[in-house]
Amino acid sequence: MPDVQPLVSDFVLKLKRRKVEGSHAVARQTAELLRSVVSQHRMGNTNQAAALADAIRAVGEHLIAANPIELAVGNIVRRVLHIIKEEDISSTAVGIEGLSVTAVSDDEYDSGNDDRPTLSAAVLASHARNTLRAPSLQTLLDDIPVSTALSHSASSAGDSDGKTGDKSLKTRKLKHDVIAAIGDLIEEIDTCYDQISEQAVELIHQNEVILTLGRSRTVKEFLYAAKEKKRSFRVFVAEGAPRYQGHVLAKELVEKGVQTTVITDSAVFAMISRVNMVIVGAHAIMANGGVIAPIGMNMVALAAQRHAVPFVVVAGSHKLCPLYPHNPEVLLNELKSPSDLLDFGEFSNCMNFSTQDGTPLLDVVNPTFDYVPPKLVSLFVTDSGGHSPSYIYRLISEYYSADDLGVRRMSSS
Amino acid sequence: MAMELDAAQNPNPNPDPPISAYYQTRADHHAVVSSDWLAHAAAAASSVTDTDADAAPPPSPGGNGGGVIEEFNMWRRKPEAAEAVAAIMALTAVIRSSRATTMMELEIELKKASDKLKSWDATSISLSAACDLFMRFVTRTSHLEHEKFDAAKSRLIERGEKFGEISLKARKTIAMLSQDFILDGCTMLVHGYSRVVLEILKLAASNRKLFRVLCTEGRPDRTGLRMSNEIAALGIPVKVLIDSAVAYSMDEIDMIFVGADGVVESGGIINMMGTYQIALVAHSMNKPLYVAAESYKFARLYPLDQKDMTPAHRPIDFGVPVPAGVEIETSARDYTPPQYLTLLLTDLGVLTPSVVSDELIQLYL
Repeated sequence: MPDVQPLVSDFVLKLKRRKVEGSHAVARQTAELLRSVVSQHRMGNTNQAAALADAIRAVGEHLIAANPIELAVGNIVRRVLHIIKEEDISSTAVGIEGLSVTAVSDDEYDSGNDDRPTLSAAVLASHARNTLRAPSLQTLLDDIPVSTALSHSASSAGDSDGKTGDKSLKTRKLKHDVIAAIGDLIEEIDTCYDQISEQAVELIHQNEVILTLGRSRTVKEFLYAAKEKKRSFRVFVAEGAPRYQGHVLAKELVEKGVQTTVITDSAVFAMISRVNMVIVGAHAIMANGGVIAPIGMNMVALAAQRHAVPFVVVAGSHKLCPLYPHNPEVLLNELKSPSDLLDFGEFSNCMNFSTQDGTPLLDVVNPTFDYVPPKLVSLFVTDSGGHSPSYIYRLISEYYSADDLGVRRMSSS
Repeated sequence: MAMELDAAQNPNPNPDPPISAYYQTRADHHAVVSSDWLAHAAAAASSVTDTDADAAPPPSPGGNGGGVIEEFNMWRRKPEAAEAVAAIMALTAVIRSSRATTMMELEIELKKASDKLKSWDATSISLSAACDLFMRFVTRTSHLEHEKFDAAKSRLIERGEKFGEISLKARKTIAMLSQDFILDGCTMLVHGYSRVVLEILKLAASNRKLFRVLCTEGRPDRTGLRMSNEIAALGIPVKVLIDSAVAYSMDEIDMIFVGADGVVESGGIINMMGTYQIALVAHSMNKPLYVAAESYKFARLYPLDQKDMTPAHRPIDFGVPVPAGVEIETSARDYTPPQYLTLLLTDLGVLTPSVVSDELIQLYL
């Protein structure tokens, strides 16, 4: 894997220096990087899937550590690990079915005997499928020593095939499948806007008033889509201090002919009673249905709840994070440069380090994110449709496998 | 037959209302029995000593039917074994001693045994949940794997006997999952004695986390005192509160951990009396409440309110004689609706309350 090392360290550096920001860009580049890691990976003869997963983990660990706030990195790493597992299991399942077929055809006469292997192979295959799924009450009493069942089936399949030519074919197949699946993932990240926007007409009705905060590309595309379908509606844009991305969004909306009103963030409560729906973007959706969003969002969510206005979050599935937020206001936050708030030199006399014990009297804190608890969110619109916060766990169990949650912990053990 | 057994073995023959066997077991296992407690017990109503004697009914070897309950009672007395484990061990024993020759016969026999067990102690949720779970497993195994009958039977027995391990493993998994929730410097409240919660604290202490525990007293059987004793033995700073001091202390508490006797279909929990009011206080003060429960405690119940459950009673010792003509509320448990729970920590993962019904529907429908 020496060829990808410069690529990896380059990306790590970019992440560390915050040269790449925003979940979409980060997710896309992570996926592309991991794709090249997979394609450069030299496949061994035994236990290829595990070796491949280890390689991904080793890279993923560095990437996650480079910028732990960009949760999309971890999401994509886990998605890729899940893909590898899925492809591996589907290929071994095919192998098992092939095995049982050959067993039947070999001894046609001894029907009493070949009953057993066929069935147990089927059972093994069903177990293999089960290992993909999150643990559930159904499988509580079933005993499947995951690794042994899998390695056993893999080895038995290998024994029966015997020929090395077949084996290398299989190797290439796994790698090829994984690369293709990562390609699909990248495609999915790119097209998530279209998928989400398709649902716009169902949610935005004629003559409604929509409120949004700051600028999110997903929200922009969502509103564009509604406009293109000849909906007429009005948008209130809270400017999103201190970066004032709302101004940019307002300009873009006006260009498309959407009735737009710019308000200050502090006017949200004053205007919310006239609003029919709040539509906002997110930085990440956590496993409990909570949202990490640009600063000021919690205030908007509280205002919406106070006036029973639906609070809709639009986000692509690469923003779905399988982790639970622990003290998110502090641990999943980033403090930006105070230059967003104050001009340099403006408060220089307050920042005199020589007063008192060497700490200036004026402190500036500029956090990037807000945490919106799940009970304030009415609906999530993702590329797979609309979901309530309590349903997020289901999406997560679909996209990730349970034992990949701690990417780091796995590789160390 | 079932009625006779009921009279013979239920640990309280005469009283009105009948004492819940489940809570009797819990009290036997987890309550503090100090000299002080014994003195109180002697001074209080004489029924306490009665129940003590009855808690160990003489084993009366009966026919085929009595076996389940005996076996169950035998396992129930082991302090480390959860009630669900006892139930599944008892059902496994039924399979082993069964002379059935077909799966159908075996299933019918098991069904009878599990019904008998369930009706023997209707107050124990984990008992009935475990019986249902095992029955479901038996039916599914026989449908999924058309093996020979003997093979299927021995597989069932083997799996049943492993259940004790599954239960222990579940506790370990929960403890592992919960570690992310315990932050350095936090203060947590625990209510009642729960083996899972204790396991969580144990692991946290061995991970060198720094935290403080407040422990309710857990009247009337003072399971909280026992809990605090074990927590102190782990070297964790612990403070005991009387049950009514929860709201008073809530502002210094960062999170609440409780166990559960049963998790019901709504995602709410049924737990020791007092959990509901702690949940209400926590909710109104915006503190997270985490429930640590093994997934085999998920039960197909849907209580609509507090009284919509089989009542479970237990003796309450007030220390002094209760004035004549005064009624006593002897319920042992309450129902906490799901909207007051933050997350469930189970061996299936960290779940929101709404997942519980999903899991149950997947299994039973």
